[in-house]
Parts: sequence; C-alpha cells; structure tokens
Amino acid sequence: MEYVIHLCILISIYLILTQSFNISFGLGLLFNLAHVASYAIGAYATALFATELGANFFECVVVSMLLSGLFSLLIGGISLRLEQDYFAVGTLAFSALVSALLINWKSLTRGVLGIPGIPRPEFLSIDFYNNLNFLFLSGSLAIFVLIILYLLFQTPFARALKAQAESESATKALACNTALICNVSFFISSAFAGLAGSLYAYYINYIDPSSFSLTEMVFILTITVTGRPGSFIGCILATFFLVLLPEPLRFIDMSPGILGPMRQALYATILFVVVYINRRNIFPVKRSV
Amino acid sequence: MLRVEEISFSIGHFHILQELSFELIAGETAGIIGPNGSGKTTLFNTLSGFHYPQKGKIFFQDQDITRLRPYRRSRAGIGRVFQNSGVFREMTVLENIVTALEGKTSLWKSLLYSPKRLRALREESMSYLEQISLADKAKAKASSLSGGQQRLLEIIRTVAFGAELFLLDEPTAGVSPRMKDDVINLIKKLQEDGKTVLIIEHDINFIKEFCERIIVLDQGTVILDDTPEKVAGSEKLHEIYFGSTAA
Repeated sequence: MEYVIHLCILISIYLILTQSFNISFGLGLLFNLAHVASYAIGAYATALFATELGANFFECVVVSMLLSGLFSLLIGGISLRLEQDYFAVGTLAFSALVSALLINWKSLTRGVLGIPGIPRPEFLSIDFYNNLNFLFLSGSLAIFVLIILYLLFQTPFARALKAQAESESATKALACNTALICNVSFFISSAFAGLAGSLYAYYINYIDPSSFSLTEMVFILTITVTGRPGSFIGCILATFFLVLLPEPLRFIDMSPGILGPMRQALYATILFVVVYINRRNIFPVKRSV
Repeated sequence: MLRVEEISFSIGHFHILQELSFELIAGETAGIIGPNGSGKTTLFNTLSGFHYPQKGKIFFQDQDITRLRPYRRSRAGIGRVFQNSGVFREMTVLENIVTALEGKTSLWKSLLYSPKRLRALREESMSYLEQISLADKAKAKASSLSGGQQRLLEIIRTVAFGAELFLLDEPTAGVSPRMKDDVINLIKKLQEDGKTVLIIEHDINFIKEFCERIIVLDQGTVILDDTPEKVAGSEKLHEIYFGSTAA
C-alpha cells in the first residue's frame, strides 16, 4: 500500500510539473529546456527556507513559486530574443548554469552532498509524515493546479500563445504583444514548476543536484511529447502512463545498476519513437513576414 | 490618414527604401506596383512596424508611429494581410476570428476565462464568417481551406480586429480565378465601408479595376504616383519593366 501511495504522490507532483511545461512548450512551442532548473529552484528554495529559516509550508511554497517565476523572467528576457533552435540552446545554457551553481555554491547548497532533513509541512495538526496524509495534500494541490491550468487553456491568453507559435508576425499584426505573452507564459509555467519542486523537497526530505539533471528534463519532455504538446488531457494521461511504465521493471530480478539505466533508456526510446511518428506536427516551421 | 515622409531603410550597404514619400487620405484605395526587389514588401514591413526606417517619419492619423512596435501600430488601426498566408492553420476557422477579436484585450483580462464573453465572441465571429461564406467551415482547421479561402479569412480577420488602414500584400497571389472574384468583392466591400486600402500587386490591369491611384516603386523610391490610366500609359513604367525604350 505504501508503494502505491508513493507512486500516487509522484504522479501528483509530475502532473503539476508537466502540465506547467505544457503551457509554454505545448501551447507556445517555446522549447524551454530550463524548466527543470525552475523545478530545482523551487525545491532548493523550500529546502533552504524550511531548514535554515524555519519557514512554514505556505511561506515556502510562495517563495518557491516566486523565485522560480522570477528566474523565468531572467531567462525570458534574454532567451526570447533568440529564435527556435537558438532559444532552446539558450535555455539549456541557463539550465546548465543553475546546475553548476547547485553543485559549486557549497556554502548555500552543500553541493553534491545535498540538503537533508527537510521537515514535512505542519498545519492543522495533521501528521504529514504519514504518506497518506501527504498524498491528500499533494493530490489536492495537483487537482487545484490542474483546474487553474485547464481554465487558463480556455482563455484569450492561451489562444494568443498558440497563435504566436504559428506565426509571430501575424499575431503581432492582430495587436498582440507577443513578447509579453511569452514572458507571462514563462512566468506561470516556471512558478508552477517551483511549486512541484517545493512538494518534491517536502516529500523526499532530501534534495541534491542529481534530482534536477538533464535526465529529468528528458523525462518531462517525454511526457509532454507523448501526450501531444498542447493537449491538456493527453498530458495528464501521459503522466500516469510514463510514471507507472517502468514500475514493473522493479519486480524483475535485476541489479539496481542495470535497472536505473534501463529506465532512462526506456524513456529515451519512447521519446524518439513519438518524435519520429509525429515529426511533421510537433515542431511546425514558424512563419515570418 | 497615412503620411510617409522621406523614409529610408538599408540592410548593410543595400539601400532598399530611399527617401520614399507618399500620402493616403482616409477612404482612399491605392495600389503599389513595381518590379521584384523594388521595396514593396519592405515598405509594408516598415509601415506595419516590422522594420524601422533609418531616416524619415511615418504618421498615421496625425500620430508619429515611426518608432512604434507592430502590435502598437495594429492597435492604432493598421491591419496587415501577409504575402505568405498569415492564417493560423492549426486553429479552427472560428478560432482565427475569435483570436482577432481578442487581439486588443489587456493582459489581465486575457488571463480570465469568461464563457459568456467567449460565446458572444463566437457569435460575432460567425457573422464575419457568413460574410465570406465560410460559416459552414467554422469548426474546420484553417489548414483545410483552399488558398483563396485562407486569403478571405485573413482579410476578414483584419476587418474583425477593427483595422482602419488595410495593407494587403498580393491578396490574390496563388488564388484560383473564381476565388479571385470573391477576394475582389471583399476588397470592394472594404471600400464601400470607407476603409483605406493599400494593395501590393504585380498585375496593373487587375488593380486598376478598383484603385483610384497607383504608386509605382523602383529601387526603393516612388517614380510614379498617378491615376491608373496615366500610370498604365506611362513610358517610365514600360522602362522599369522592359528596360529602356528603343532610341
């Protein structure tokens, strides 16, 4: 039972993480490879504020979301000046920069040793060290975030974001401030990634830079691409499918040294196959004047 | 309505527009013709804010818009129909119009989902689609429309968004002869509604049907600006298209 609860908690965290990526990448085709860095900033903000300053759950969540959101404005301010492939490379550079900071800024992050002893949330006298209770917390938050994002997908903002993904110049010619729209999509996307990071830190009680590597970004990307970028329901189904997919591997008698790489190879293969099948639809050529 | 004062635009040492000037009054329809590379599309890009001239000024409704960004010019009332179709092909036909109607929405309002407002916008969009006989294709993807239908959609989208000045870049390029008439009728409707229209075209016989005036560009500057009849009979026009006349 504990194992099922564990999987459900992971799914709730990944639902927030991937659906938030689905805003900027799925709707806006903004290939932001620094999404995992926003996730990391959220996790580290919670870890540091909870352990060093004794901040409560709500303070940590707000700070994590704000810091991740502000980080995205920095990325957006610089990377959005680049186009398509260059934009992806630019955001990848930001991701590498955050990763390097997490490893090397030892006085703050303890480097590869990570931050242990992150306390579970405390409020309403509920024992969140009980995983079932934590599942109620993370599950409720995931449902709340999904409702907000579902409504966001129906707004004029989402339509403008989709429009600029197809033709930025035609969208500008319809009086849309595309730069603002893209930056706001980045902010929302990253803020929710920060929330996912915060929940992750609270749940695992320990974080280190290896949890926020490029491999994690590949996993987020695999889920979004498998669910079809821009599809709200597709992204949810793909999250369930891909989080649960490697689980049967655990029951095969195999050493952990092989199991880990097998899981990564499985995701990489799925990503390749899905991209290959949908190669004409996932990254349509942007039109310009 | 539109005043262009000696604008120049260069890329490196290549001078695309050179001290180009002209004026349009409200409700006027003018055609722009010129050989390839004469600066027609660059002129449109400069008028709609995708390029900024290095010299000169552009005034729209007596407001200096020379340094305004494209979306601000659109908000001021300049509508653009692109040479390469600017319809959002992955969206439905209806969504294309709804997006245009929402173009001027402020950021905060655009982040709110209002089913009531969306319903009203859909109804309004349908009335625009009826004007171009595409109401029955409202739910189809715009990519499923023919080239001519996409042109009509793009023009009506610009009407829906509330433009006063229409910059139409080769609106009938690649359009079948039957659809060409539909595009022409829509442009005539714009004229009847008192809109100001500037059209880039290659075919002088085609635009002289509905243009009161034709501006001829060559090497980034205006070399003729007159009635269609006078321009059609001009030796200068013959010269730029076919080389110098025989001695």
